[in-house]
Amino acid sequence: MKMDNSKIKLQAASPPLDLKAMAEPNPNSDSRREFLRNVLSGATAATVLMVFGPGATAFSKGAKKSSKAQHQFAYVININNCIGCGNCVRACKRENNVPAAQFRTWVERYVTTKKGVYVESPDGALKGFEKANAEVRAAAKRSFTVPKMCNHCDDPPCVQVCPVGATFKTEEGFVLVDHGHCLGCAYCVQACPYGARFINKDIHKSDKCTWCYHRVKAGKLPACVTVCPNKARLFGDLNDPDSEVAQVFEEDQWMVLKPEMHTDPTCYYVGLPREVV
Amino acid sequence: MIKTTPKSHLFRLAGVLVLFAVAFLLVKSWATPDSWNFEQWYRGDALIDIAAQPLTYGGNESCKDCHQAAIKKLRKFDHKALSCESCHGPVVDHVKGQKKIAKAIVDKSRWQCENCHDERINRPKGFPQFSQAGEIGKSIKKHKDLEAETPCLKCHDAHDPTP
Repeated sequence: MKMDNSKIKLQAASPPLDLKAMAEPNPNSDSRREFLRNVLSGATAATVLMVFGPGATAFSKGAKKSSKAQHQFAYVININNCIGCGNCVRACKRENNVPAAQFRTWVERYVTTKKGVYVESPDGALKGFEKANAEVRAAAKRSFTVPKMCNHCDDPPCVQVCPVGATFKTEEGFVLVDHGHCLGCAYCVQACPYGARFINKDIHKSDKCTWCYHRVKAGKLPACVTVCPNKARLFGDLNDPDSEVAQVFEEDQWMVLKPEMHTDPTCYYVGLPREVV
Repeated sequence: MIKTTPKSHLFRLAGVLVLFAVAFLLVKSWATPDSWNFEQWYRGDALIDIAAQPLTYGGNESCKDCHQAAIKKLRKFDHKALSCESCHGPVVDHVKGQKKIAKAIVDKSRWQCENCHDERINRPKGFPQFSQAGEIGKSIKKHKDLEAETPCLKCHDAHDPTP
């Protein structure tokens, strides 16, 4: 690869081209080599810094978790405990004045059969679930109910797409909508991989679960957690080692919905069957 | 009369750009809310607005002040984990400030019981529910002679449902 200037001169001299220009030693040769050397050393240094240096945590979840906020709220949904009564759906509707046929939280019933998986959520399970008929009963291998809601992601796509900064993630972990700022453009509705957002029919703004921010600030639990009869829904502070969510976290048996979306939800599921999407 | 030079159009252009920049910054400072959080990119006062939403459900602790005896009793029963407000309605319908404004709902319908305890294929294993036969728990002797519409609360206590 190494070429010294005398060689270039010799080669340049043979063809009858612009001899005057060619006879000069290539003025770029040195700087090009230098440039390449700089690029290489720069890339090496950057790589080393990314792996060992201060950049090491820049892209990992740990960086966000170490925020200075006093609380780090998290939500736990235990599938094994959910009986599908729909108390949570009714309480959420009432607490937050959610319009008819729209839901901040809803419950889905999964029925797995040999032919496939069937999912239903009649009116968001506002009135619970119907008895399954004999046909379904005969085909069913397994059935369970899955409460769904906003996952309050650590890396929320809805916040990324909002053109006016009307939706945001607080340091404590809430993903919220500023109704005073929202235009109702519904970009966030499309961006959410969990279908947790909707345009509120009454106010024509984007709406979603807030983990009952107003209740938590008043020292209460979210409405859905308050009325859940079987501890299928838990809410608490991960910074408090005695909280129920911290204990679930400690056991390290949780899952999140759609991990492949890299949204880092802070809504953790326990006993999540693999059929759930 | 202003003397024009070959460069004067450039100065004019620069002037217009400066004007635009000043206008832009003025509009921006007027349109940006005072409480804007430039790190997280949101209106800081939004948190106050959202937190101002009135509470509807008070949780069982809000019933304690007036119904201490009932809550104490409930602790021994199987239904101790239930929220009072699931059957009795949210506290805002019942109390305002410290005063009772209306009678709390007592939902005695069969649906209220069946919603949790009627057999469904999705219920977790071991959860107490009526038999698979469909009609009111034929597995239990006492239920055999009952009509389909007999209210559960005719025999059972909603707080202490033990048979």
